Amino acid sequence: MIAVETEFPLLPAGLRAPRPAERRGIRRDHVRLLVIDRETETVHHSSFDRLGDVLRPGDLLVVNSSRVLPAGVRAVRASGQVIQLRPCVRRDGSWDALSVQAGPPFENIPLAGGETLRIGETAVLVVGRRPDIPLLWRLRVESACDLDLILRHGEPIRYSYVPEPLPLDAYQTVYASKPGSAEAPSAGRPFTWELLSALRRQGVGLAEVVLHTGLSSFQDDDFDEEHHLFEEWFEVGPETARAVNDAGRVVAVGTTVVRALESAATWEGRVLPAQSWTRLAIGRERPPRAVGALLTGLHEPQASHFDLLRAFVREPLLRRAYAEAVEQGYLWHEFGDSALII
Amino acid sequence: MNQLQGKVALITGASKGLGQAIALAFAREGAALALCARGELALHTVATECRLLGAEVLAVPADVANPADRERLVSLTLARFGGVDVLVNNASTLGPTPLPLLTDTDPEAFEDVIRVNLVAPFLLSRSVVGGMLLRGSGIVINVSSDAAVNGYPGWGAYSAAKAGLDGLTRVWAAELAGSGVTVASVDPGDMDTEMHRAALPDDDPAALARPEQVAPAFVLLAAGGAPGSRLEAREFMEKVGR
Repeated sequence: MIAVETEFPLLPAGLRAPRPAERRGIRRDHVRLLVIDRETETVHHSSFDRLGDVLRPGDLLVVNSSRVLPAGVRAVRASGQVIQLRPCVRRDGSWDALSVQAGPPFENIPLAGGETLRIGETAVLVVGRRPDIPLLWRLRVESACDLDLILRHGEPIRYSYVPEPLPLDAYQTVYASKPGSAEAPSAGRPFTWELLSALRRQGVGLAEVVLHTGLSSFQDDDFDEEHHLFEEWFEVGPETARAVNDAGRVVAVGTTVVRALESAATWEGRVLPAQSWTRLAIGRERPPRAVGALLTGLHEPQASHFDLLRAFVREPLLRRAYAEAVEQGYLWHEFGDSALII
Repeated sequence: MNQLQGKVALITGASKGLGQAIALAFAREGAALALCARGELALHTVATECRLLGAEVLAVPADVANPADRERLVSLTLARFGGVDVLVNNASTLGPTPLPLLTDTDPEAFEDVIRVNLVAPFLLSRSVVGGMLLRGSGIVINVSSDAAVNGYPGWGAYSAAKAGLDGLTRVWAAELAGSGVTVASVDPGDMDTEMHRAALPDDDPAALARPEQVAPAFVLLAAGGAPGSRLEAREFMEKVGR
């Protein structure tokens, strides 16, 4: 658990992007881009599709190619009550999952150790609470392929600022190809292949890692503020490790990429091929060693995300950037605008 | 015999006809297969035959026109094999038979044909091309028809869909030029299949090609990329000397 003091004002509710750019009448790569330049200590305003203006040949963009699952899974209790299970950590037929209402506001629903739930025809045994994160339930899923179960009975996890359900496709990046995330690795969502191809032609490299995300919220504000850490699966292949070690500047697309690369980095900042679970938290106490710059979505200062940003930017500049973004009406969260810390 | 060793192929409409023949031919050449069709029993039979030929097979009963089924097909395939090297958009429907004239075509049946034969191949391609582009290799093969270029009475919906699919193929190919990912459409010619019999019950089956005679063209394409964006299977085979 990491305590984070935040003196930031709350984000005005109207700035939470309720739907993807394409459903707001603009292309996905035409969201706004807040550029935070650490060298000049300046903040300027651009558009995501102008990313090439601030990158240079030899830079390496590293994306998370994880594909989002419909990880809000419909389940039925013995009483007939319909709930939604949100698997946060999945391994070998065992889930650590949140149990919430089947519809908004998706509040937590306590289960009973020993009770049996059903997902479709499949039995799910509630083992008990996860000791370190008691809002997560240890479940034993009696299925040869729990992925198939999720794909058959799930819908995308949705938060209250997204008013209507969206198709899963709306959450995917254009390169999503490794199924396994509970929530969208949304920093890369604004990319189009048109932009990625143009950047490649400009001499910017492109490499992938995989980090399957867990849940960003346990649907309990007080609990969320305690920043409970849990393990997430990541993969850094040999080609990516090589590209990162040879790159001029490594630009992580999203905090998930930072966590994956840093989990695979030696203390001198050399990245080795790796696949494992990680619960590494990057922050001021553990600054990045391999990643040089960060492209990210805008998330609330209260979010644990923010502690990671402070590992990249000195706090006064970050505060100034956030204040400008709010003043300029930038949109926040997974369907919102972007920021580049360069 | 091992032209497709190490490759992963996703084939739709794999339970019968040309799809089945392609699945078996790919299995013989060492490909790992993700097979999809609506008919579960027939699909599992083909999957078993492919396994007997030594292939690793994932069989996913799914309707390509259904978005949730499509996502399940793509995600299960990617999770099992890590990627897709070859996508064969083979599943297609004629719509109601006997084939009606356009004036007599039911609007819903028309839309259904467009959904299965045109929209589904586009969306499936879109789902797997992202991963192919990241790796810088892959091929999408769309199964076309001479109905795409000729106006045969009764073939309105099918013809419109296949012409649209050819158009998509050309644009995909132009947009992806130089990326390492190729997209081609193949006109397999007239074959003795259940679909052909439903459309033209009076044709003499002996005068028609068998699907297994056409499948090698798909093996060659999958193994070596496409020399152009629209190919006629017979011509292509002659060109490469088979």
